[in-house]
Amino acid sequence: MIHSIAQKEFVSILRDRRFGVLSVLVLALLLAATLVGRASYRTLQQERVLAQSTVNEQFRNQPARHPHRVAHYGSFAFRPKSGLSLLDSGVDTFTGSAVYLEAHQQNSVNFSQAQQSGSLIRFGEMTVAFVLQLLVPLLIIFLCFGAFTQERETGTLKLLLSQGLTMRQVAWGKVRGYSQAVALVVAPALALAATLLFTGEEFASGADLAARLTLFVLGYAVYFFLFVVGSVVVSATQASSRAALIMLLGFWIVSGIILPKATANLGASLYPTITKAQMDADVHEQAQHGINGHDPHDKRAEALKASLLKKYGVDSEEKLPVSLAGVQMAAGEEYSAKVYQQHFAALNATYERQNRLSDWAGLLNPYQAIRPLSMGLAGSDFTHYVHFQQAAEAYRYGLVQRLNGLQASMGPGDKERRLDAHTWHELPVFSYQTPALAWALPHLLLPMGALLLWAGLLSWLGFRLIANTTVA
Amino acid sequence: MHLFWILFSYEWRHFRAAKGLVLMCGLLLVSGLYGIYYGTTEIERQRQHLAALPELTRRNVAELKVKFPGPADAGDIGYYHTAFAVHHPDPWAALSLGLRDVNPSYVKLRLLGLQNQLYATDNTNPMKVLSGNFDLAFVLVYLFPMLIIALSFNLLSSEREEGILVLLLAQPVRPATVLAAKLAFRLTLVLALALLLSGVGMLWAGVPLDGRIGTWLALTVLYCLFWLAVALVVAALQRPSAVNAVALLGVWLLLVVLVPSLLNLGVAAARPVPQGIELTIRQREEIHAGWDRPKAQTMNRFFALYPQWRDTATIRERFVWRWYYAFQHLGDVAVAPQATAYAQGLQQRYNLVEQLNLLSPAINVQSSLNALAATDLPSHLAFQRSATRYHDSLRAFYYPFLFRKVEFTHADYAQEPTHTFTSHPELATTYRGLLKLLLSVAAVYALGALLLRVRSINPR
Repeated sequence: MIHSIAQKEFVSILRDRRFGVLSVLVLALLLAATLVGRASYRTLQQERVLAQSTVNEQFRNQPARHPHRVAHYGSFAFRPKSGLSLLDSGVDTFTGSAVYLEAHQQNSVNFSQAQQSGSLIRFGEMTVAFVLQLLVPLLIIFLCFGAFTQERETGTLKLLLSQGLTMRQVAWGKVRGYSQAVALVVAPALALAATLLFTGEEFASGADLAARLTLFVLGYAVYFFLFVVGSVVVSATQASSRAALIMLLGFWIVSGIILPKATANLGASLYPTITKAQMDADVHEQAQHGINGHDPHDKRAEALKASLLKKYGVDSEEKLPVSLAGVQMAAGEEYSAKVYQQHFAALNATYERQNRLSDWAGLLNPYQAIRPLSMGLAGSDFTHYVHFQQAAEAYRYGLVQRLNGLQASMGPGDKERRLDAHTWHELPVFSYQTPALAWALPHLLLPMGALLLWAGLLSWLGFRLIANTTVA
Repeated sequence: MHLFWILFSYEWRHFRAAKGLVLMCGLLLVSGLYGIYYGTTEIERQRQHLAALPELTRRNVAELKVKFPGPADAGDIGYYHTAFAVHHPDPWAALSLGLRDVNPSYVKLRLLGLQNQLYATDNTNPMKVLSGNFDLAFVLVYLFPMLIIALSFNLLSSEREEGILVLLLAQPVRPATVLAAKLAFRLTLVLALALLLSGVGMLWAGVPLDGRIGTWLALTVLYCLFWLAVALVVAALQRPSAVNAVALLGVWLLLVVLVPSLLNLGVAAARPVPQGIELTIRQREEIHAGWDRPKAQTMNRFFALYPQWRDTATIRERFVWRWYYAFQHLGDVAVAPQATAYAQGLQQRYNLVEQLNLLSPAINVQSSLNALAATDLPSHLAFQRSATRYHDSLRAFYYPFLFRKVEFTHADYAQEPTHTFTSHPELATTYRGLLKLLLSVAAVYALGALLLRVRSINPR
């Protein structure tokens, strides 16, 4: 009997002209967003891959230079787009794409897409995730708000229940019918996206991508299920279709538009971010005077010189087998990198505190649970961005220290000499691999838990509520 | 006329009885106040950040005075000294933050090549900038239409559905009067809220008393009128309440969400911007090649641009600062065409959006408010031009020391030029926006009137 109700709802939705128009619209937007997402993915990816190989070539083909010159020449790290980011670009638009890697300092990641457009970008971007997170729920609301109220208003609910069905069974039938209709709209677009992902030669189609995509689809399935059940519950408990619709739309606006902005802004007000200028000044201060303020740079350099002279049993810098400047440079870099690391860790901790409010709001607001889950799976969230930043810094540090080592091995009077051009061929170039799903998963437990909790609570409490509502 | 006021006062009683709507107005008021609070604190924070910068410069100078106790080579000072170009917000920025959180409000400058310093970003939390600003402009552009929709989706339909419309129209009253009274009541309510919030916002932000107050209020009033006009058109179609609600929300979705995001895609495709990163890579190549080129070649290229230093001593040393700064500057000169193209490309994108914003009054009002508050892309580009001029003046300050071999003394620090820039409102953009908004409002009202004329109000 539940099956017949589901079948009836499914068929009558398909016959509804309004559903036809709306679902074609949503499907068209989904397909367009997929294609546009792929096009922009390709352009950005090509630009970045090309730029990375250009700077790598430039680095390797340097003429004979002093290694410290090479350290200042430095290199660039470009952030490659992750495969699934064509579905959900997450924070990618607002994070920079390139960072300049040089001796002595850690630079900001510059040239974000947001900086290259006007304030139009603040209205939101047309991505698959945007359609799935905000527009499909709206479609579901329009489909389901009359689930019970209409039956009541036309008096068919009594007839239905006189067949020996319980309210709970009717509700399940409706949920199933509506879910089928939603799947009919969303599935083709996701199938297209999957095809594009796995057939495009530029995408490393691996098990990792498949797993991410599967979880992505499952996450959205739960999210849509929430909205279907929620709308049916509201429809059953409200007196009129109008009241049900207003209530559902109110929820949509608060959860999709107001709360995400309010929590993000509140978080930023509660935990202020230090400016880059202040941070750089603090780093400089600590690198000069020691992290504790009693270990000045000059004293450290003197001590290092004395210990080197003692180690090699000589009495002057010129008699050392290594270049003192190179050894001091390496020690200075080690110290300043440590200071930088501490400050960057503190900055990221501030960001995480700011975002925590938003993360926990996911327990109250399914939109704020699916959003981090979706970006996390797509590899376009804040955590993945920090991973890139750290990989770039690790490469920078390794490179600079290797160059300092080369300088040290040149022996005294290195400043007058240069190293051969082929030296630079042997140095590693920057290449970045997006981390595997297993790395990302622990960060996504909260949103996953929140979605499942919502699904469980709604199915249990919601249906109990329906079972207890009056028929008339 | 008397009848009109009776109807008007009944609408008021009706509204007071509808708890949901009163609650919604209250929520909107709270949201608006929060938006004002957030905007003003955010701008205040930016001001504090900017005010802290001179202290950083002072510390830097104090450190240099210790490092170089006697007269120093100006080249050393230029290398280690940091100065800041600062972009002060206009007081109106607190009400419409625009891109002030995405673009940095200061740039740290040294005497080195400009192009790899100019595009540095400040620390920003990507999740926060993704979520956007909850400022008064957001409340006006996004949430006010929602309130208008909630108030007006059942403009005539609820009375028809409850069977009251038949009774009402059986009285000696013209349907147009009924509709006018209903619309007038909603307009009064919405405008009261909008003007109250705008007034509070202006006082809180401490805006200067100039013509922009009138412009802001005009934009606000016209935007509210636009959405009421949309509600009128939908009411004139005389469909059931649920259909009206869906239709109005559809229009909201179209104008506030879909058109902007599609326009964004279209503009990015129609006006591709040369990659900013390319020019910094190019500049790095040019600068570092300077080390390997013969010094005479570098200096001759530099003297071609600055003939006033041509008569200075020929460089025979292995390293000398004036040669170093000469090839730093030549690196900027080499990418000057790209830098101009980059800035122009961004400006053209903005201009295209401005031309096309007639498509959506929401975009129009948002960009007009940002232009009025001087928080959009053109303001940032103007700041970057100003920072470039500042860098020029820094070079002009240091060059005599470097080329005439004048020693840099402690007294000279105070002579170094400083920078300040306050954004200027783009009033021309705002006025064009106002005119376009007026056109949109007129067009939609005309459509509503036409529909009502074609199909007279059906009481059943």
